[in-house]
Amino acid sequence: MVFDIAVLTIFGLIIIGMAAYGYKISAKTAEDYMLGGRTIGVVVMFFFVLFAISSSWTFYGFPGLLYLEGPGYVFFIWGSVAGFAGLYMFLGPRIWALTKMNRFLSPVEALGERYESKPLRLVLAISILAFIVPYVGIQPLGVGAGFQALTGLPALWGATYTAVLLIFLVLLGGMRIVAWVNIFLGVVYVTALMGSMVWIVNVALPGGLPGAAATIMETQPELLSAPGPKGTFTPVLMGGTFIVGLLAFSWPHVVIGAMTARDKNLFKWFPLLIFVFGGLFFYIIPFIWGSLVAPAIMPLEALTARAAELGTTVEIEADRVVQTIIVQELPGWFGVFVLMGVIAAAVSTAAVQLMTSSVIVARDVIQGVFKPDADDKEVTRWARWSVIVIVILSLSISVIDTGAMALYLTDVSIPGFAQWSPALVGGLLWKRGTRQGAIAATLVGVIYLVLGLLITPGGSRVLLFDLHPIVPTLLVNTVVYIVVSLLTPAPSEEIQTQFFDEVDEFLRSES
Amino acid sequence: MREVMDHTAGKVYLAYLAATIVGMVVAIVRGAMSVPEGGEPFLLFGWMTAPLVAGIIFVLLWLVGYLVYFFKFWPYR
Repeated sequence: MVFDIAVLTIFGLIIIGMAAYGYKISAKTAEDYMLGGRTIGVVVMFFFVLFAISSSWTFYGFPGLLYLEGPGYVFFIWGSVAGFAGLYMFLGPRIWALTKMNRFLSPVEALGERYESKPLRLVLAISILAFIVPYVGIQPLGVGAGFQALTGLPALWGATYTAVLLIFLVLLGGMRIVAWVNIFLGVVYVTALMGSMVWIVNVALPGGLPGAAATIMETQPELLSAPGPKGTFTPVLMGGTFIVGLLAFSWPHVVIGAMTARDKNLFKWFPLLIFVFGGLFFYIIPFIWGSLVAPAIMPLEALTARAAELGTTVEIEADRVVQTIIVQELPGWFGVFVLMGVIAAAVSTAAVQLMTSSVIVARDVIQGVFKPDADDKEVTRWARWSVIVIVILSLSISVIDTGAMALYLTDVSIPGFAQWSPALVGGLLWKRGTRQGAIAATLVGVIYLVLGLLITPGGSRVLLFDLHPIVPTLLVNTVVYIVVSLLTPAPSEEIQTQFFDEVDEFLRSES
Repeated sequence: MREVMDHTAGKVYLAYLAATIVGMVVAIVRGAMSVPEGGEPFLLFGWMTAPLVAGIIFVLLWLVGYLVYFFKFWPYR
């Protein structure tokens, strides 16, 4: 245990050291702290975004679900790859140009100005924070469980360790260092996830992956196709899962990444990395882990017996199946390296979410509504202090009801993130989109989502027609946005020139 | 996206991407990922399942379309 703690201490000190260095070299301006001075190049941006979206869920939840339900859930990944690429191909250049030209520091600020509406700015800020803040707290808690499994110390220690790292990283480093640290964390993460898989296949699967598939074909062949052993992933659910993945373009902590770009050339090259490194390499690793390697090495009966022995559930043990196999099959010292990978995955995601939340709190809520005359230093100070408050708040919410939090991720956060997308897409691409349309659509979408999730007579989500929450809510949101926009006066000529014609001109002229 | 819609190559590119999405949804809904009655699961190279192969083809189609459009036709290239 002393070795494990020593390694984790050094790992933490490296991250804190990088954050301190970032503080030293920063320009101490709001633009530098919140957007890295808009100087992020394509390679840093890629790892920054890739590991911002690949949380500890990629290590636990995703392989665990494949292990139990078969390969159908992978369509969420294929949709997400297209969604992220689509953001950088189609919306990214405009978000970048618009915010750079007008010195906007948050996407919510840009939309508030586009629609000339402070109420909309507040509505968007609060709804995004409501869906993103609890998500931040889940990451340290996830690490806590792995920390406990490895060291035997209480999970709270692991959660506290991660929370402290997060606070130092975001408070001192700002967006630039969060982006740079994500490269370091990403290397640790990929090495742990991929290295462990290659090692395990060599040690425990002499027939390689075809041998693993042959084993599963004998023991549980339904794991090799849809709808899976329980019949969950029907064609309709897989199609829906794919569509939900496509909406990844609206995740606020990914959208803000586009604002940090150094130049428009980034948007030409970025999709190449998403397709080749993300789609054809990175996401296939946890897929192979969960759908082939884990079920071949530890069949469901063995995991069920383990769950009974430990007094947990099969679902919980499935989430930990990758870690369990690594601990069982590989040398003990490798376990701490894997935990470092999980911490890296958690911190890389939570740091970007935390950074995004603090930008919105400081720029859109405090300066946008309560202290419009706050200067650059004051806004930066608010952003830094809000980091601590957000971490405490998010951890408290997660600790109060961990059961509800799992539901929160899949059924609330992702549909919640999508509710600003009609206002975002319309604001960037449709001159006719109006403030009344954006306010009405966002409020209707969010209220419909909340009511749909809360009103469940007999366990049925009647208001959502028992569909995935994103489907009916986003449909209604979009229809309301279009109809109300067409029924209300068009935005002024001045706004249309500033947010469309000048942006087009800037993008064509910028070399 | 406004710049993409402004020229023919861009419209073709968008139509191509939309067609791949529709194609993927149609393939899923028509049961291409399931096992036919009495059949065995599809495994390419002995281990790649149908959802994995379908996704890789989808990403490759997007990759090819992106390379052609962004490096030959994108107005801001």
